[in-house]
Amino acid sequence: MKRRIAGMMVFVLMMALLYGCSAGKGDTVTIGIGQYAEHPSLDNCREGFLAGLKSEGYEEGKNLKVEYENAQADNSLAGQIADGFVSKKVDLICAIATPMAQNAYGAAKNTKIPVIFTAVTDPVLAKLANDDKTPAGNVTGTSDKLPVEQQLKMIREILPDAKKIGILYNTSEANSVSAIEEYKALAGNYGFEIVESGITATADIPLATDNLLTKVDCVSNLTDNTVVSSLPVILKKAGEKKIPVFGSEIEQVKKGCLATVGIDYYDLGVKTGKMAAKVLKGEKKASDMNFEIIDQAAFYGNTAAAKDLGIDLPKDLTDSAKEMFDSIAE
Amino acid sequence: MAYILQTIIDIATGVLEEGLVYAILAFGVYITYKILDFPDLSVDGTFPLGGAVAAVLILKGVNPVLTLLFAFIAGTLAGTLTGIIHVKFKVRDLLSGIIMMTALYSINLRIAGRSNVAIFDKDTIFENAFLKKLVPEAVKPYETLIILLFIALFMKLLLDFYMKTKSGYLLRAVGDNEVLVTSLAKDKGTVKIVGLALANGLVALSGCIYTQKSGFFEISSGTGSIVIGLASVIIGINLFRRKEKVKATTAVIIGTIIYKACVSIAIAIGLSPSDMKLITAVLFLAILILSNDRKRKVNSRA
Repeated sequence: MKRRIAGMMVFVLMMALLYGCSAGKGDTVTIGIGQYAEHPSLDNCREGFLAGLKSEGYEEGKNLKVEYENAQADNSLAGQIADGFVSKKVDLICAIATPMAQNAYGAAKNTKIPVIFTAVTDPVLAKLANDDKTPAGNVTGTSDKLPVEQQLKMIREILPDAKKIGILYNTSEANSVSAIEEYKALAGNYGFEIVESGITATADIPLATDNLLTKVDCVSNLTDNTVVSSLPVILKKAGEKKIPVFGSEIEQVKKGCLATVGIDYYDLGVKTGKMAAKVLKGEKKASDMNFEIIDQAAFYGNTAAAKDLGIDLPKDLTDSAKEMFDSIAE
Repeated sequence: MAYILQTIIDIATGVLEEGLVYAILAFGVYITYKILDFPDLSVDGTFPLGGAVAAVLILKGVNPVLTLLFAFIAGTLAGTLTGIIHVKFKVRDLLSGIIMMTALYSINLRIAGRSNVAIFDKDTIFENAFLKKLVPEAVKPYETLIILLFIALFMKLLLDFYMKTKSGYLLRAVGDNEVLVTSLAKDKGTVKIVGLALANGLVALSGCIYTQKSGFFEISSGTGSIVIGLASVIIGINLFRRKEKVKATTAVIIGTIIYKACVSIAIAIGLSPSDMKLITAVLFLAILILSNDRKRKVNSRA
């Protein structure tokens, strides 16, 4: 019996491996996309990435085979996913979000497989790039660093009398911690004071929000995964007190944040896809390209949210908006 | 064909590496869960504790080999605290672990300074000047595996040896027959604390090795460690239940490798990652049911 079970397991393993290896070489390139967690912004990033590749002539199903894995925010799983891509000798690994990028870089370090990352806030701190911003190895990509200064300027323009900005963030998300530091360093220049509230789990959010809302004139979000997943709770509580909540990217404004000067993760993905295409075509090596950021952050506003709050968005902002939303998406 | 064979070897290498790192964690879980009959959840905190210690010390320029020792000590301290909470303050076993795990989250953040610390550019036990000189090019792809094999076997032998000492004997007795320990005029509480300290030391050691292998510390890396540990122990022990010649430590190593292989297969055949936890749970339950079944058969025969 035991032998039969063992035999079956080996059989399944072989089948799995054969399945994994069935990718014909030839003209088709195989890429592995590892995404750290399930998240609308990261999903946009992935879609943008594929669109970017397509615009450069790599189309899924035609000359591109995509192996997509999601680590469900489990670092151990992310490690195994990265190892798997390396074992299968994919032509390129696209890693979405910091821990995935670090796992992919670590796994591919001693191979020739290039790693292209995206949605990594601080590639230097994550040691994916050297202090002079050159790649740490055969690895490059795009950063989703928040345009904090522009965001502060925009908040000042919309709320001329506001003094305190509240920020909720998860203490275990490295991206949030570095963004908070930047907010704190720059807030004074615009006459703001930052009130931070660190949480460790989704369950902390309702209480932390209630507490924070008693102390601040408005709330500004980061790209914090935990906080963004609970956005509806925060918006509801803030809405009851007529306290504006600013987003950090387009998806949050769609869902009812008042406005943001932020990044569009789809565009970020497209940019990343184009970088990947250069590597696949052999035009450039990943190790020769510095990581890139979205140079032009855009204004996004939500007129429905503005109406609920009784706030008029300044005309020069709405005129410059890349996109305005007139409803709150559920 | 050669290409496929090479791929299989590469995948197997990856699985073995992961399995051997986590085998050391599973040793710890084996001590608490199987020997002491203590479901110790502090593991989810002590695994990243070892990682945090490793990352910070390596950044400070401490010899990577020494960090193994420091991580182990940090783990034993945490385990001792779990033990004291349970034995001295009479908090239930499950709760003691949860309290320690929760406290360790903040402690780990304090130690590491932030939630993600990269050490890619630093020397580790897997990558340093000494190894670069020593290891021939042909062996390079298996360098990590060989080092891990060495560490895991060393820890296994050490643990086997410990179990034969007086302290190890008492440890086993506490789980099986508390009265015996008391009749030997030994304090069973102290024995439990020693067991928990040892177990968490091993878990932290595993976390330290994991961080050095992956090249960065991540606070969330502890989440689910206890599940990996328990699944590995249960798979290993049940697989070799009737093979008396196979030592429990060997069974645990093999159990961990099988568990990691299952995860790798699940990824390879494209099972939805969202279902991963459910698959783990089902696998877990299936093994438990199978082993219960066997127990019942044995009982009815008697």
